[in-house]
Amino acid sequence: MFFDNYRKKEDGVVRFYDLHSKRTKILLIAIYIICFAIIIVSLFPPVWVFLASFKDIREFRRSATILPSSFDLDTYIKTWGDLKFAKYYINSSISVVGSVVCAVVFNGLIAYVIGILKPKGHKIVFGLVMWSLLIPATTSVVALFVNINRIGLNQSFLPLWLSFGANAFYVILFKQFFEGLPKELIEAAKLDGCGYLKTFARIVLPLSKSIVMVVVIFAINAAWSDFLLPYLVLNGSGKETVMVRLFLFRTSTATDVEVLRAVAFSIIPPIILFTIFQKQITEGAAAGALKG
Amino acid sequence: MAETKNDLANRTPRTTSRMKRKDLTGWLIMLPTLLLFAFFVWEPLVESIRLSLYTAKGIRLEKFVGFSNYMKVLKHPDFLAAFSNTFVYILWSLIIGFLVPIIIAVLITETTHFRSFFRVGVYFPNIMPGLATVLMWGFFFRPGNTGVLNILLDKIGVAPQIWLTNPKWTIPLIVLAMTWKGAGSTALIYMAGISNINPELYEAATIDGAGILSRMRYITVPSIFSLGKTLLILQIISVFQIIYEPLVMTNGGPNNASISIMQLVYNYAFRDYNYPMAAALSVMMSIVLIILSGLYFKITASKEN
Repeated sequence: MFFDNYRKKEDGVVRFYDLHSKRTKILLIAIYIICFAIIIVSLFPPVWVFLASFKDIREFRRSATILPSSFDLDTYIKTWGDLKFAKYYINSSISVVGSVVCAVVFNGLIAYVIGILKPKGHKIVFGLVMWSLLIPATTSVVALFVNINRIGLNQSFLPLWLSFGANAFYVILFKQFFEGLPKELIEAAKLDGCGYLKTFARIVLPLSKSIVMVVVIFAINAAWSDFLLPYLVLNGSGKETVMVRLFLFRTSTATDVEVLRAVAFSIIPPIILFTIFQKQITEGAAAGALKG
Repeated sequence: MAETKNDLANRTPRTTSRMKRKDLTGWLIMLPTLLLFAFFVWEPLVESIRLSLYTAKGIRLEKFVGFSNYMKVLKHPDFLAAFSNTFVYILWSLIIGFLVPIIIAVLITETTHFRSFFRVGVYFPNIMPGLATVLMWGFFFRPGNTGVLNILLDKIGVAPQIWLTNPKWTIPLIVLAMTWKGAGSTALIYMAGISNINPELYEAATIDGAGILSRMRYITVPSIFSLGKTLLILQIISVFQIIYEPLVMTNGGPNNASISIMQLVYNYAFRDYNYPMAAALSVMMSIVLIILSGLYFKITASKEN
């Protein structure tokens, strides 16, 4: 029966023995209905984006319906070409790949030094990194932008990539994981004559696949969605990312349907990523936030 | 054990030099990352302060003017609007944004069927890029009969609303859109907290005759109270920094009804190219945020003890 597996329920308030009362059963059914309603509210807006972007501009302006009158993929492909989205996808991919590499390499290396090598003064460094969590990224964007201009790195992907190499949150995730690795393996590598960097690349990273995955997934999503710094650095350089292009709609004269399709293009990659890695993402989100 | 071994090893000169080499290599390995932290995190803070004390032409500093940029920022009428809006944002995000994730978490924890589907479903909006979310909600809140919410209202026989263009509703609706995106991830944190409550507490309460509601009130709510305090401060910190929602959805309007402090920073820096004034406002924001974050660390630290 529907309520049978409440025998095993150990969390939350309701237990199996509460279910002899009819009111509790009704309450539970109401809870299921509300939960489904919440899911509909969560999923409906992006679904609407896809449905409405199949309308053409005349239909979009006139008809007040949710469903489009026809599903014509050709118009979609035409907008993709008109807005040159292939170019923005390529630019975003360049930005994402570099950012992910920097996120893993630089934050991984400092976490390896703080968590495993522990040279003199490592505690001070970790204190400084923790302290960085206090500094809100958005308030320093003006000064950062001025600095990037002074050293002539504007209109280049380099500052965007490197900005992912200084992320205190990723450092903490890596450090916690590295500290749990078996010390014997690292000692053994040292006895075999592995240098420190070689130990990191050959022993530590392969043992840490699960945390590397979490950081990679979060970094992909963060780099894809990032827009303020990319907009300031890349605007007008021909290297605009998808998000920069979306931001430009704020002041451009595109039609509603074009904007909608652009939104649809911008959310397809995150949706694919989420569909594949939903387990890692939802678990990483809860665990990371509790520890951090 | 390990410590005595180390002490013994330290006495021989060869290992001492190896220890030093380890220190040196360790520092060399983390040097690149430290430079990145310096460039992207630490130095901009110092640079903001420096910038805020000068006048500038574009990015070139001209002359030291003390605190006059701060006075200019504080006296500007937009500042008062942005400052008071911040409190309205915080108020609404306490009413909507704080409670919704708790309610979602409590409800989902009572389900046994479809639970992972519910978890994944509520988290889904969180992976949407912020900018795409904002543009999307712009279509939902559109006035006239092609706005999505108005289409839906029409189906239940309600007249179309003007949504964001009504200054009284602008901020609550922006907070609603933010909550749509953020509630799921916060709910997952609460769910983890609720699942960690010792089940024996509930058993004991039941034996004492507590019904479902009193178990909720006397066990679940107190158990997630400290988690709630922590998340509340995190939420206030992020609401202080709100920028794209008003920037893209309303451009701060109607008539400054939704302008935020960070948006003011953006306007000074990237519309007026007045970097010193933007920096002065940034510095004031940073001070407030650092105090709030300090509070957050104090609360989490006392929780661990």
